[in-house]
Amino acid sequence: MGTLPTDAINALPFPAAAAAKLSATPSEIEREVINLFEQFRSPLLRYALSFGISVHDAEEVTQEVFLSLFRHLQLRKSRRNLRGWIFCVAHNLALKHRYANQRSRDMMASDWTIVERHLDPSPSPEEQVSSTQRRQRLLAVLHALPEEDQCCLRLRAEGLRYREIAAVLGISLGAVSISLTGSLARLIRADRR
Amino acid sequence: MLSGGFHLADQELLAAADGELSTRRAAHVRAHLVSCWHCRARMAEIEGTIADFVRAHRQAVDPQVPPIAGPRALLRAQLAELASKSKPGPWRQFFHLPSAARAAAYICLIFFVAAAGGKLLFQHSAPHGANSAVVLAEREAIPDRRLTPGATRMVTIGDVCSMAHEEVVREVPASMRKEIFQEYGIVNARAEDYEIDYLIAPGLGGAEDIHNLWPEPYTSTTWNAHVKDALEEQLHQMVCVGKVDLSTAQNDIATDWIAAYKKYFHTDTPLTLRSSVIRSFTRRLSS
Repeated sequence: MGTLPTDAINALPFPAAAAAKLSATPSEIEREVINLFEQFRSPLLRYALSFGISVHDAEEVTQEVFLSLFRHLQLRKSRRNLRGWIFCVAHNLALKHRYANQRSRDMMASDWTIVERHLDPSPSPEEQVSSTQRRQRLLAVLHALPEEDQCCLRLRAEGLRYREIAAVLGISLGAVSISLTGSLARLIRADRR
Repeated sequence: MLSGGFHLADQELLAAADGELSTRRAAHVRAHLVSCWHCRARMAEIEGTIADFVRAHRQAVDPQVPPIAGPRALLRAQLAELASKSKPGPWRQFFHLPSAARAAAYICLIFFVAAAGGKLLFQHSAPHGANSAVVLAEREAIPDRRLTPGATRMVTIGDVCSMAHEEVVREVPASMRKEIFQEYGIVNARAEDYEIDYLIAPGLGGAEDIHNLWPEPYTSTTWNAHVKDALEEQLHQMVCVGKVDLSTAQNDIATDWIAAYKKYFHTDTPLTLRSSVIRSFTRRLSS
């Protein structure tokens, strides 16, 4: 990365941090954005796809996210919690795409198709069948959850901390904790069946 | 928090596994887990379910994720374009020059102003020729920037390119037409003489706003409303096939639509065989 990593910048005392930010020329910011793109593109695509939008739309969302990030960094806006910021923008854009496309189809559909597509049509070992059934059970529980709970689980699965999830979804820290506990309890019950 | 006074609650077990507890509370949970097989088994069950969920989530979605190379190249190109647009303007660069260079620039500027002034004086005394007629025609066809600077809606390329035809060519309400004629000081206007036109067309994200509408004469023989319609159609197609980005198209048409016409049709005069030329241009774009 051409410039200091985000955490390092946040850790600097204020004047030094300001100087480091001011020294970032557009090309340094471009490099930084590309590095962040490489790091977060797959998690963001997965998250955007979970809103039931097409792969093409999800790619457009990720592009828009990183172009916004570029403008955000260029304007020297806050670098605190960039990961949360990136997911928050992706969340809003994915919702916008979904509403724009008027595709409020069951989000289950896409995942089911993929699961079914990846089932080996030839006679498979018993373990494989059982593991696929288990996966389908878990996904069925996931898709039966309220949307906010699904988002909490997916964001946590992409590595976001409770504080970041709360910021993305605009809910309290306690609500994140309760949501995750409740969802996991349901997944565990489904797994026991 | 103890469940039934003896065991840890699921919420606390999960928060501990996720590293979301305070140091003191986390130490307490660890100590409890060392002594309690029941809570350890539940913790293992939670961890196992998390692992299964992450696997299922990834397997369901990962096959849809295309390789990164293409999107990364696209982002690089878009960032380069954004970066070039946000470079400091010539005036800001000028004030960053060393004082000697700035002094030299001032001298050049004085010479330039003197030379330009002389030329203007010469032209003013010369008889008006064909060129001045063209300039006059162009001036009439350009809206007053103070009254009509252009206004846009918040739209994406997707919105613009999926617009229905009737939205692209929608009529301006009569009340607004009247207001615009008044604004431009035109009285007793005949409908067939003017088109109340969008400076930035709806098909390019232009807004139905008085700042984006002006009375464009049909009567002008050169740069008239029909010619601008052709440019709007052309730009709309170029934006939708990705040859021009939307903000550039909006900016070009709002700044000087005649200059934009010359730029995008590669001509100094309106094309007479417009439809056939557009067809051939469109064919070239799609090929």
